[in-house]
Amino acid sequence: MQLAFGHRPVYDGLECHMRKGEIHLLLGGSGTGKSTLLRMIGGLQRPDSGIVRVAGHELAGLRERDLGEIRKGIGMLFQNGALLDSMTVLENVGLPLREHTKQSRVEIEERVSSVLSAVGLDDVESLLPRELSGGMLRRVAFARAIVMEPEILLCDEPFSGLDPLNVTRIEDLLVRLNKELGLTVVVTSHHMASSLRMADQMILMRDRICVSGTPEELAGGDDKGVIEFLGEDGRSFLARLHEIRDRGDVGDGSSAGDLR
Amino acid sequence: MIGWIRSLGASATSFVEGLGQLTVFGGEITASLVKPPSRFGFFLRALYDAGVLSVALIALSGFTVGMVLGLQLYTTLSRFGAEEGLGAVVGLSLVRELGPVVCGLLVTGRAGSAVTAEIGSMKATEQLDGLRMMAINPIHFVAMPRALALTVAMPLLNALFIVFAIAGAFVIGVSNQGLDGGVYISGLESAVRFADDVGQSLLKSLVFGMLLGLVATYKGYSCSPDAAGVARATTSTVVTASVAILLSDYIITALWGV
Repeated sequence: MQLAFGHRPVYDGLECHMRKGEIHLLLGGSGTGKSTLLRMIGGLQRPDSGIVRVAGHELAGLRERDLGEIRKGIGMLFQNGALLDSMTVLENVGLPLREHTKQSRVEIEERVSSVLSAVGLDDVESLLPRELSGGMLRRVAFARAIVMEPEILLCDEPFSGLDPLNVTRIEDLLVRLNKELGLTVVVTSHHMASSLRMADQMILMRDRICVSGTPEELAGGDDKGVIEFLGEDGRSFLARLHEIRDRGDVGDGSSAGDLR
Repeated sequence: MIGWIRSLGASATSFVEGLGQLTVFGGEITASLVKPPSRFGFFLRALYDAGVLSVALIALSGFTVGMVLGLQLYTTLSRFGAEEGLGAVVGLSLVRELGPVVCGLLVTGRAGSAVTAEIGSMKATEQLDGLRMMAINPIHFVAMPRALALTVAMPLLNALFIVFAIAGAFVIGVSNQGLDGGVYISGLESAVRFADDVGQSLLKSLVFGMLLGLVATYKGYSCSPDAAGVARATTSTVVTASVAILLSDYIITALWGV
C-alpha cells in the first residue's frame, strides 16, 4: 500500500498479512501509522494505491453501504473511546444490538450487563460518558466493541489509562475471546509486556513499511529496527516468553468475567 | 497577474466543488428521510434543542422588534395623519418580511451554530467513525434528525416571533401612544391575507429552515476534525446560512410577485 497525508508519506510499499484467529500486535513509534492501519482494516481510510483485503473482501472499491455489511463483523476500540456523549452507557453499548438485531429491550439490557461485567463494570448503565473515569470509559468502549461478538476486533491502545488489575482483565478477556470464539485481534499498544504475552504475531511499523513475525522470531532475528525498538529489556523479555506463557501467569483467560 | 488568475480559478473550482458536495449531502439526507428506522426519538430531541430552547430568545426578540416598529411607524405615520394604519403596516411588514428573515437569522445564530458545533465535535472525537464501524450511517443517525428539526422548528418559531412582535407594536402604539386598540387590530385583520401573506411567510421560513438544516449539518459533518476546524465550521455556518437566507428571501419575494 501507498499512503500519504499531504506531502508526508505514511506508507510506501507497506505489505502486511494477518491470519484469521490470531492475535496481532502492531508496534512502532509515534506517527508510524499504526492507528491508520487499523482504520484501513475498518474501511475508514483508503490507501492512495494498493489493496486492503479483509475476510476476502477488497475494500477499496466498495461503497459505504457495502462496507457497512463487512463492518458488522468487525469491532473497533478507538483510542479515545468514541462513545456517543449524549447517550448513557447502556444505550452506547446496546446500540449495535438495537440497530442490527431483533433482540428485545430486556435481552439487550441483559447482554449489555453481561458484557459490562466481563470488563469489570457494574451499575454504570445509567451513567453518561462524561461521568466516567478515563479507564472506565475505555472499558465501556471495549464492551461496545465486543458486544456483537465480531469476527475481527481492532483495538487502538486498549490498555492505556487502565490500572494493572484491569489491564490483566482486558488481556485475559482478549485471549479468551480469541481462544473460544476464534476472534482475530489486531492491537496497537505501548503496554509492551501485556501485548507481547498475548500476541501470536508482532508487526513492527517503521520507515513506512513493516516487519512481522512471531515474538520469538522477531526477538531472535537480526533486524536492526526491531533490535533498536525493543531494546535489550524487550528482547530479553521475548526470549523468556515461552517460559512465561508455559507458567500460565497470564493470558489463559481465567480471570475474565463470564461473557455469556 | 497569472498568480491572481490562478488563485481566482482555484477559488471558483473550490466553490463549485463545495456546492456539489453540499448537493450530494442534501440528497443523502433526503434519501435517509424515508429509510427505516425513522429516528423519531432523535428528531424530537433535536426539535427540543432547536425549537423549545430558542423560544425565549425568539419571544423576547420579537417583542422588542415589534416595540421598535410600533414606535418608528407610529411617529412616521402620524406625520401624515395616517396613524390608524399602524396595525396594517406592522402586520404586513412582519408577516411578509421581517418575521421570517429576522427569525431565520436568529435561529441561525442560536440553533444552527449549535448543530454545527455538536456534529463537528462528534467528528473530532471520532464518534462519527465509531458509528460507521457499527455499520450505522452517520447521516441517517446524526445529520438527518437535526436537519429535519431545524426545518420544522423554523416556521413555528417564525409564527411565534410574529405574534410577539405584533404584541410589542400593540403595547407601544395603543398603550404608549394612545392609538385605539380596535383600530390597530382591525387594520391588521383587513390588511393581512392568509393565502397570500401568511402563505408567503410560511414558505419563506420553511425554505430558510431547510437551508439552515442543510448548511449546519454539512458544515459540521465536513469540518476538519480539530478544535480550530470546528470553530471555523461554526462561523462558516452562520455566514453561509445568513447569506443563503437573505438571497433566497429575495428570490421567493420576486417569484411570489410581491
